[in-house]
Amino acid sequence: MVTPMNTDPTNLSRRGFLSKSLAGAGAGLVLGAPNILRAANQTAAGTDAIHIALVGFGKQGEVLFNCLRNIPGLHFQAICDISPYNLKKGIGQVNSLTKVRPNGYQDIDEMLATEKGLDAAVIATPDFWHSPHTVKCLEAGLHVYCEKMMAHTIDAAREMVKAMERTGKLCQIGHQRRSNPRYRFTYNRLINGNKICGQIVNANAQWNRSLGASQDIGGAKIAKSIIVPDDVLNRYGFKDMHQFLNWRVYRDLSGGPISDLGAHQIDIFNWFLGTAPKRVYASGGNSYFKNREHFDNVMCIFDYDTPQGEVRAFYQVLTTTSYGLGFYESFMGTEASIRISEIAATSAIYRESGDHVPDWGALVDKGYLVRKPAPPKPEPSADAVASYESAAPDVYDLPGGFNKPAHQPHLENFFAAVRGKAKLNCDARHAFESEAPIFWVNPSALTKQPIDFKTEHLSV
Amino acid sequence: MSNEETPGNGNTLALVYGSLLLRVWLGVRALQTGIEKFAGTRSGDQVVTVDGVPNEEGLTAGGSMKYYALENYHGVPKALMSKFEGEPLMPGFGLPLYDKLLGPALLVLGVTILLGVAYRSSLFVLGLLYISLTWGLILIKQDDGVSWLGVHMIMIVMALALAPHNRLAILKKW
Repeated sequence: MVTPMNTDPTNLSRRGFLSKSLAGAGAGLVLGAPNILRAANQTAAGTDAIHIALVGFGKQGEVLFNCLRNIPGLHFQAICDISPYNLKKGIGQVNSLTKVRPNGYQDIDEMLATEKGLDAAVIATPDFWHSPHTVKCLEAGLHVYCEKMMAHTIDAAREMVKAMERTGKLCQIGHQRRSNPRYRFTYNRLINGNKICGQIVNANAQWNRSLGASQDIGGAKIAKSIIVPDDVLNRYGFKDMHQFLNWRVYRDLSGGPISDLGAHQIDIFNWFLGTAPKRVYASGGNSYFKNREHFDNVMCIFDYDTPQGEVRAFYQVLTTTSYGLGFYESFMGTEASIRISEIAATSAIYRESGDHVPDWGALVDKGYLVRKPAPPKPEPSADAVASYESAAPDVYDLPGGFNKPAHQPHLENFFAAVRGKAKLNCDARHAFESEAPIFWVNPSALTKQPIDFKTEHLSV
Repeated sequence: MSNEETPGNGNTLALVYGSLLLRVWLGVRALQTGIEKFAGTRSGDQVVTVDGVPNEEGLTAGGSMKYYALENYHGVPKALMSKFEGEPLMPGFGLPLYDKLLGPALLVLGVTILLGVAYRSSLFVLGLLYISLTWGLILIKQDDGVSWLGVHMIMIVMALALAPHNRLAILKKW
């Protein structure tokens, strides 16, 4: 018998969480129960424009800027980056867009001491700087949008939550899928509202990235134009240019692929399942990149107890192959499975065959789903035993998509919250509750032991 | 093999055809690229209705519609413009000027090459234009684009080599 899902996401999360004595860790995992948020109705400068600082203008900073440029009402007041190349690039791009040259800084302390009237900071620095930069900006009275992963250590992530709650400022973490209309529709309308999956028993997700895309940045000879002087690098925690360009592969600077790539998708496990996992088992190794500090391939299983029953969620991050649709998350239930990805073409909804599955004709008629053409039936072959096979599921799709860069809705949500017109979709506390289990994947893989989560593992 | 066509025997029909094809290709390439500088898109997205009401999550359906207008003009695409702005070797004064001139230059050169007006000089100027584009793409590490332009340069040189066989030209001088 299928256990109906609780349609109240708040109760769903809180109950599952309390039952496992992990109070504070799972209660806020669902979107519908964000933290108490205090948002400014008027900006610090007393105008309608939100005055922002861009902290970090490397590759990800540029990705965010290309979304920010589409959001009306923003004034790019300052840019901070230790790289002269990045700083000049950022100033040039802002100047090109707005015809107003922003003030540039190498040091964030100098920027915060000098700039008056800033409302918010958008932080896209390396992971080990996220927490110090976020805390500094919050304490300076700024609202903060900070890229995920929150930090390279769980204690540093805890400091971000404490700073947000201490200062009363907004702090959104860049789990952009939380604001993606396709993910929100899937969660609100299909999984919770219409319970199309039945009982979700398994989940799996992956980020398979090709070897070519996983190589070190910079190569043997680094272009002179991007070199940062050694004394500057050392002052900001980098041993050399290789560390500066490839901080993701160093243990002291990041959590490695499971954190860098896995954070987005394991966040979806915790969000959609509405609770924190109770255990993780992981295995990893340096299967190809022998000299890297972090594992290049990691596989892990999270065990969940949800109000519906137990769920096992498998996640893998591979940096040596892109085979198998690249990256996606899937949720497999007794009545249907949903595969979702930021790439719409990779996403699909599969309805199981059988009498236990309700007819979806009404859902299609009302516009919740679109029926996709059935794939061609494979020819019978001598090496297959027909009686062993399940009937192929029917394939459906979401009724729409969205026509914006992937990060833009999440940034729009942040600035709407700054204006007091929305609640954050992923504030630091919710992000912490979702990210906390990820910090324990590498320890499990290193010790080759499962980790049973206790309050101290997952709470602030 | 009395039908063999070589410049030596005076039968140059193949070379005339070759010249004409290159001329049309390069002319259309330049002209349409110039026209595309005036292209823009209008969003045709509609909020999806679910159960009779617009969905709150923001799902949309539809797509964008392309249209042409003077106000759409961007010589250098926006995305590239902002990258060039950040390049230390890119002279600040030159970029806005280049942005203004690139589209009209492509239009004029496309027309002159297609009509055969000052054909050789037009090809030469087009080659210089592609060299300038190549330099910009080198700066922002767009190696694929550099390779493409390299192919264009080879075609321009071939067109110049075949220019003595160019026919149907309005102004053969220059």
